[in-house]
Amino acid sequence: MLVLFSLNLGVCILNRLPLKNRSLGSFLAHISVLIILLGALIGIIFGQKAFLKISETEEVNSFFFHGKNIPLGFSIRLNDFIYNENIDAKEKLLVYQHAKLEKDVYDLGSEQAIMQSQGFLAQVPVHMGIEQAIGNTGYKIKAVRYVADFVMDTSTKNVFSRSAEPNNPALQVELKDPKGKVKSAWLFARFPDMHQEISADLQIKYNWAPRRPKDFISKVTILKDGKEILSRDIQVNEPLNFAGYNFFQSSYDTQDLSWSGLQIVKDPGVPLIYAGFILLIVGLVMIFYVGPLMENK
Amino acid sequence: MSSTYLNLSFGAYFLAMVFYAGNLFFKNKILPLAARFFIACSIFGLSIYVGLRWQIALRPPLSNMFESLVVFAWAIAIFLIFVDLKYKIKVINALTALLGLLALGYASLLDKEIAPLMPALRSNWLTLHVLTCFIGYAALTVAFVSSLITLFKKGQDHNLDEMSHKIIAFGFLFLTLGIISGSVWANSAWGSYWGWDPKETWSLITWVIYAIYLHARLKRGWKGKKAAWLSVIGFMAMIFTYFGVSFLLSGLHSYTQ
Repeated sequence: MLVLFSLNLGVCILNRLPLKNRSLGSFLAHISVLIILLGALIGIIFGQKAFLKISETEEVNSFFFHGKNIPLGFSIRLNDFIYNENIDAKEKLLVYQHAKLEKDVYDLGSEQAIMQSQGFLAQVPVHMGIEQAIGNTGYKIKAVRYVADFVMDTSTKNVFSRSAEPNNPALQVELKDPKGKVKSAWLFARFPDMHQEISADLQIKYNWAPRRPKDFISKVTILKDGKEILSRDIQVNEPLNFAGYNFFQSSYDTQDLSWSGLQIVKDPGVPLIYAGFILLIVGLVMIFYVGPLMENK
Repeated sequence: MSSTYLNLSFGAYFLAMVFYAGNLFFKNKILPLAARFFIACSIFGLSIYVGLRWQIALRPPLSNMFESLVVFAWAIAIFLIFVDLKYKIKVINALTALLGLLALGYASLLDKEIAPLMPALRSNWLTLHVLTCFIGYAALTVAFVSSLITLFKKGQDHNLDEMSHKIIAFGFLFLTLGIISGSVWANSAWGSYWGWDPKETWSLITWVIYAIYLHARLKRGWKGKKAAWLSVIGFMAMIFTYFGVSFLLSGLHSYTQ
């Protein structure tokens, strides 16, 4: 259909030759559409596009395209994949007096209930690594580590995150009492009553809110004949261009952050398409503004 | 951040609309002047609001439905003042002010929280892409109003027809710039200049309808009501591109939530 459209448009443009000064804008605007379509056709015929799933430390020197294995002529290694999240403004620590009756603790489920309760003392926004005062209690608190999917190795007692999915968000905090004694504990968003007793005076509830991705960055190195040529970060809006190939940050998996999805693109039609874009803009400006201006003179 | 400037602008927009509407029924020299004064106040207030939001968010405030509606209302107000000074067609002024006010009213119902920009939107192309699109949208909205009036008016009105044509030409140019900047941006972010994403497809449909309008006018001599129908259809497609696609179809442009 696009081919028929192009033929039709082409004949229409030819019909109007030879050009008068007046119709130059119109000529440019219409031929630009043909140029854009030609660029797209060249991209379809000669372009290459492939999705590359690459694991950390893995080195790749070819990719599959239309069932064929195409060598890159160099290799690309993923050194590290970095995933960061924004802490939502709603994420905070709610501090209230240590309830005398165990029953009260269970009643204080929601953020609302806590903030309306008698024992409510203060709320502290979550800022990693920054010591913050808890109201005027004399206590200070610092968030030191966050894991989205808390797991503890039972033998070594090491804490790690099973994935980046917030299955069990937990925050490690350090509480400094008015005398300067520091105690560390993990707070669990999903299990408010499960934390270790952190203080005889205070109860702290970790009010978690969904975090949004901030960055996802693939740190890569290009190698040729075993020699490292260049190292770069690839992220959305910042692709890597090497030897005619563009590498784009395309996807990742919050369940497993050890691999990164890159899009490999080689599209020789793009310069033509951009040229078409420029001609289209110039043509339209000439039709609507330069032409009438000249006629008025 | 505080919504003071937004609310003040909303008030000024409302007063401008009331004075423009009043001007339809009463002959008074003060009414159009008051309307212009208030719409200018509104443009000023919205500019300050957008500027402050830009400063606080450390990024251009053009990333979700709320922010885009504010820019939309702002662009409509600028067009309104221009069209008012140039053509002085009372009913167009009143209806355009009403549409701008609706956009701003809808915006005020939405979540105004400043959210961090998702990685895909962190690019200088964002400003160019969104601004060109919304300047185009605002122009085509004014053209829709003038076409609507053409349809309801008895007989031909050459002045009105010329106005619609000029504004559509301007809107079409900016719609083109919007689509092209989006395409170049997509290519630099994902390596694909066109992906038949619902928003892309519908923007192309809108673009084609207005291209038909321009050709029908030039080559077939469609004027007055015939052309006005095309403009109305084009506006429907534009509105669907803006709202319909965002809420009904998901894709690369699902930033509204």
